[in-house]
Amino acid sequence: MRVAYYKGCLASLSAKELDTSTQALAPQLGIELDELESVTCCGAGDIHEAEPDYYLHLNARILAYAEQTGADTLMTICNVCTLNLRQANWQLKNDPDLLARVSTNLRSVGAPPYEGSVEVKHLLWLIAEGDGYERLKEVAHKGLKGLKVAPFYGCQILRPSKILGFENPDQPWSLEAIIEACGGEPIDYPAKIKCCGFPIIQAREDVALGELIQPIEQASEAGADAIVTPCPLCHLSLDAWQLKLRATTGQDYQMPILHLSQLIGVAAGLEASELQFKRHVVSVAPVVEKLEA
Amino acid sequence: MNVALKIWRYDPVTDERVLREYEVDAPEWACLLDVLDLIKDKHDGTLAYRKSCRMMICGSCGMRMDGRAVLACKERMKPIVDAGHVPVIAPMGNMPVRKDLVVDMVPFWNKIRAVKPWLDPGYDEADEKERIISQQKMNAIHKEALCIMCGCCVSECNSMESDPEFLGPAALAKGFRFVGDPRDQADIERLNTLNGEHGVWDCTRCYFCNERCPKGVDPRDAIAKLGAESVKQDVGHDMGAKHAEWFVKSARTTGWLRETELVPKTQGIAAAIKQTGFALKLAKHGKVPPPFPPHVAKDVNEARDLYDLVKQQGRDGAAGIVQGEHALGQIEFIEEAGEREHAQEGQPGAETPPADA
Repeated sequence: MRVAYYKGCLASLSAKELDTSTQALAPQLGIELDELESVTCCGAGDIHEAEPDYYLHLNARILAYAEQTGADTLMTICNVCTLNLRQANWQLKNDPDLLARVSTNLRSVGAPPYEGSVEVKHLLWLIAEGDGYERLKEVAHKGLKGLKVAPFYGCQILRPSKILGFENPDQPWSLEAIIEACGGEPIDYPAKIKCCGFPIIQAREDVALGELIQPIEQASEAGADAIVTPCPLCHLSLDAWQLKLRATTGQDYQMPILHLSQLIGVAAGLEASELQFKRHVVSVAPVVEKLEA
Repeated sequence: MNVALKIWRYDPVTDERVLREYEVDAPEWACLLDVLDLIKDKHDGTLAYRKSCRMMICGSCGMRMDGRAVLACKERMKPIVDAGHVPVIAPMGNMPVRKDLVVDMVPFWNKIRAVKPWLDPGYDEADEKERIISQQKMNAIHKEALCIMCGCCVSECNSMESDPEFLGPAALAKGFRFVGDPRDQADIERLNTLNGEHGVWDCTRCYFCNERCPKGVDPRDAIAKLGAESVKQDVGHDMGAKHAEWFVKSARTTGWLRETELVPKTQGIAAAIKQTGFALKLAKHGKVPPPFPPHVAKDVNEARDLYDLVKQQGRDGAAGIVQGEHALGQIEFIEEAGEREHAQEGQPGAETPPADA
């Protein structure tokens, strides 16, 4: 299937490894990426909170450029982009007056108007079921040798379920299904659906670290070799700010954190240059060694 | 039908906490609260829980079922029994347990009190003339006004788990209920209070509150409205507000987030310098992208022009979020000004009562 691909800010900046692994993996999974160029940040929830009308217009503009490609689906690789775009899309699709006003505004700045025909879907949803899942099982030929992988969903791919709605937000299954299809063993732990703390990690670091420690600690205690997440913001929090837990807890967890596309990429035999593990703060070497043993 | 439940019992005298299983025969229409009543009547009179109205109005019977905060009077048991599931009932989270399913709500009420949950119209004596506010204007706080203060949102608040002093979703939604009230005249004072250390910008946007609220209040959206209103009224000088404003600035200049500048723009230069050691460790792995040359989006002039255009249209502040609520909300809004009929709320049971009932 051909999709409009919106990679968002982080995959262009500090999480480039998410983009390179996604670009390398997608064709193998039968997903043809039509990368959007004339698009901006979705606002990450921050523009929604500071200038909500501007947030709506920025996201409508992204949706309009996606529509212009002729694809039905706008594919995201970030939880926060997914919620922001789906929330705007929901409002615009269900409120003709709002859609008309926003489209008029888009046209008057030279952007295409939005007709309301696009669905926003995260990569996770495209490969957790249906054709994508069948392709995944074939693509993951190298397997994961029973690697113990703790799924970490993060918040904004599950809640609010009215807007996201792919799976039961209290008992999600998609990451587990993918881990199993790749030959890994999913680890269960309560914090897998909780917050990583990232949205407030700059403004309230202590509060955020109090949230971040839950998945790291619980996944460690459950014997996980790595955590996998579908969100680059969760990734940055779990990977980079994990360093700071050393100072607050005295514990050095060294828990490797993988992007979803990297976990599948390992099982699919992607090149090191595509996976780019060297860009992680916490070393992924123990995972690689375990798989090569 | 035969209903099986497991209940976390807590005895404050012995400090003993045990999971007990119960089975009762209950009518098919029974909700969780009915089943608890049957257990208390027929099996164990010592079971403690709060209840009053039994119709989703009083907000007394908040508790957890299988880890989710729910109103016991709203949860029908038949689908659970049909699925052969034995749910685990526990007290709400983020509040100390007094006995069994009863939590200490004193901290909760203290936070509600802290937001001054009463109208301040800016005068003591009302004029003789009645002031009519249009339904459309009152719809700005329709969702927040539905709060029954049950505590289900607070129970699962991720920020409050980490910072127990966080005002939390219920108190902040109550705060917006008055900030957004067209009759209230104390907005700036209220916003200043709500922008405190444990206020608006403590919210981590986990959206558990929206997911759990049994009345469709959507407390997270109320918090975002407070943020937007704080920025509009220039009250938001918190680091959280600066963080949010930097995203706006980024979109208006390069289109994409200017990621590396986010730290000094949020925390200030001095605090950012203290982070140098951490930043260097991150930089080693490419996690601190250089700000130059800037990562500029194609056709970014459109995003810049859009900003100027929407600012002229005057839907900034909370109004920018309220405008989308008719489509987003879990409740219906009354459209016509002055219309007396109440909007239909989401019904607790699956069955619709017959028209002649």
